[in-house]
Amino acid sequence: MRVLIVEDDEVIASTMSRGLRLHGYVVEHVPSAEAASAALLNEQFDLAIVDLGLPQEDGTSLVRRIRRTNRTLPVVVVTARDSIADRVDTLDLGADDYLVKPIALAELLARCRAHIRRARVVASSQVQIGSLGVDLEGRRVTVASESLDLTRREWLVLEYLAINAGRIVSKERLLDAISSAPQDLSLNSVEAVVSRLRAKLGEAARIRTIRGLGYRLDDEP
Amino acid sequence: MIRPLWNTIRGRLLAYLLPPLVLLLAAGVYLDYKTGAAPVRDAYDHALASAAFAIALHAQSATQPAELARVAGGIDNLLHPGARARAYYVVRADGRVLAGEADLPIATVGETNPVFFDARFRGEAVRVVTYSPPGRQPLTVSVAETTAERDRATLRLLVSEVLTDIVQLLATVVLVWIGVALALRPMLRLGDQIAMRSPRELSPLDAQAAPGEVRALVTELNRLFATLGDAARAQQHFLANAAHQMRTPLAGMLIQLDLLITEVGESRVRQDLVALRRSAQNLAHTADQLLTLARADPAVHLADEFAPLDCGRLIEDVVAQNLDRALLKGIDLGAQIEPVRIDCVGWLIREVLTNLVDNAIRYVPVGGHVTVRCGANGGRAYLEVEDDGAGIPPDQRQAVRQRFYRVPNTPGSGCGLGLAIADEVARLHGAELEIGDCDGVGTRVRLRFPEAIELRSADTA
Repeated sequence: MRVLIVEDDEVIASTMSRGLRLHGYVVEHVPSAEAASAALLNEQFDLAIVDLGLPQEDGTSLVRRIRRTNRTLPVVVVTARDSIADRVDTLDLGADDYLVKPIALAELLARCRAHIRRARVVASSQVQIGSLGVDLEGRRVTVASESLDLTRREWLVLEYLAINAGRIVSKERLLDAISSAPQDLSLNSVEAVVSRLRAKLGEAARIRTIRGLGYRLDDEP
Repeated sequence: MIRPLWNTIRGRLLAYLLPPLVLLLAAGVYLDYKTGAAPVRDAYDHALASAAFAIALHAQSATQPAELARVAGGIDNLLHPGARARAYYVVRADGRVLAGEADLPIATVGETNPVFFDARFRGEAVRVVTYSPPGRQPLTVSVAETTAERDRATLRLLVSEVLTDIVQLLATVVLVWIGVALALRPMLRLGDQIAMRSPRELSPLDAQAAPGEVRALVTELNRLFATLGDAARAQQHFLANAAHQMRTPLAGMLIQLDLLITEVGESRVRQDLVALRRSAQNLAHTADQLLTLARADPAVHLADEFAPLDCGRLIEDVVAQNLDRALLKGIDLGAQIEPVRIDCVGWLIREVLTNLVDNAIRYVPVGGHVTVRCGANGGRAYLEVEDDGAGIPPDQRQAVRQRFYRVPNTPGSGCGLGLAIADEVARLHGAELEIGDCDGVGTRVRLRFPEAIELRSADTA
């Protein structure tokens, strides 16, 4: 997996590079937005890590440019700026994530993994979490390569959770997902579907209840 | 607050206007009296003279003094029928008294005829006229009347004039009062405009719309606003730069330590590195908190940093960010969201909420619950974090707002700035920071905002 790091601080850049390489990533580091544009033009990357406070051209305009030319490349912004305006602006521009320095290496690695997986889901229509496999196109669920039979509603809930693995999904969203006329169903039916789904998945995947907010399919086995 | 009357523009204006107005009134009354009294006197004198002419006419034609006395005796009626005043007369010919009161004063008639004069008769003030008809017989008639009647007439005149003038004076005072109020209205409006502004609102006032007299004041105020705004912006800029400059090397240091720890493998050195990383993490945290505290200072915030924030979204975000840490510790982190928005400096509120959730996760024992809530109560929005941990003893709840204060015997490595920041941020937003418990259990920290922007149902979808 190839990661592009756009960061002007030599210490942070080289350490992040080494950390990512240690975990099997192929890393290229560039110190400016201009160099990043050139690298993106010549090579394929699976993820870009962009610092906002770059010399000359700012990171935000780089993020905007990346989004214009490449719709699917996940972009993680890592910055020392913390104002909510920066956060909102950058996410609106199309960055997938926003991390405020100082960050822990473990956190950065976890985010990179999640974003790359999500991008791959979009590209391949396949979600693989541990032994759980969800084929979005073929509408098939496998646990340790064994096919699993799901009802229509169970499938729709799992599909939605799998696409958003690692994120909190509200019951209302799931209700919308399983019914074209959500007003005919109550949130209780969502709970019932989730509990049946949990029973069927067993140890293969973990659907957590996040009190007051909804559910989350853990993206780490 | 009631200001003393003399310290208002109206009061002062009246204080300056009233004495000259009263003097003018007095002078007016005096002049009116002077000019009004003469015609009254002349009218009465005319009647008096008429009586003298009539008596003289009778004296010339009457042969008998007795008859003259009968006719002349009617002058009381002739002058003032049934009046309070009394009239007297005397008719003399060649020094002889023909009829009437012999001791009634009489004047010498010369060039002027009749002659009027004031005198006293039988202890009363009288007005006398002496008339000598031209003719063969040297005849002199004197008629007098007591002045009570004419005094009453002049008094009536005087009273009516004084009353009119007082009414005029009062009308003037009322008109001045109303006029001043009307004239001051633009200034009062300006005052209201300034009072209604939030203390952070530093945009200039419209100097052109202000009345000429206070335009200079408005211009100076605008200059002051601009200076304050510049100072706040400069301070914000400095603090933002300071944050950036401190975070970058700390970030480098932490991530290098992370890398070293993964690379070095199990060993004594690894333990030292982990300890070093913990210290560096604490330093980074304290530096971060200190900068946040400085940046939360209400003096460095401008109105344009305030924007509506969806509390539900914020809670979702903060919970999602802290979920893994909570799960790792076996803590049930949840939320209870009642859709509401607040007008706030978003990143500061996020910082406070993150701090509170972080504290709760840090201090709640394994198996505990942490709940983040938002909603509105009596038109006021609130954000709160509740846990079922050990709680803050009631006698410590005030002290924990102090900077660097930590409840004695607290485990962990907090820097004691979290609640101080929450307190400062609350102050900036005109909100209250309530530190309490939930029916005697755990801790409940609540930010109560002065108002709420209700979400319409369409906004929540």
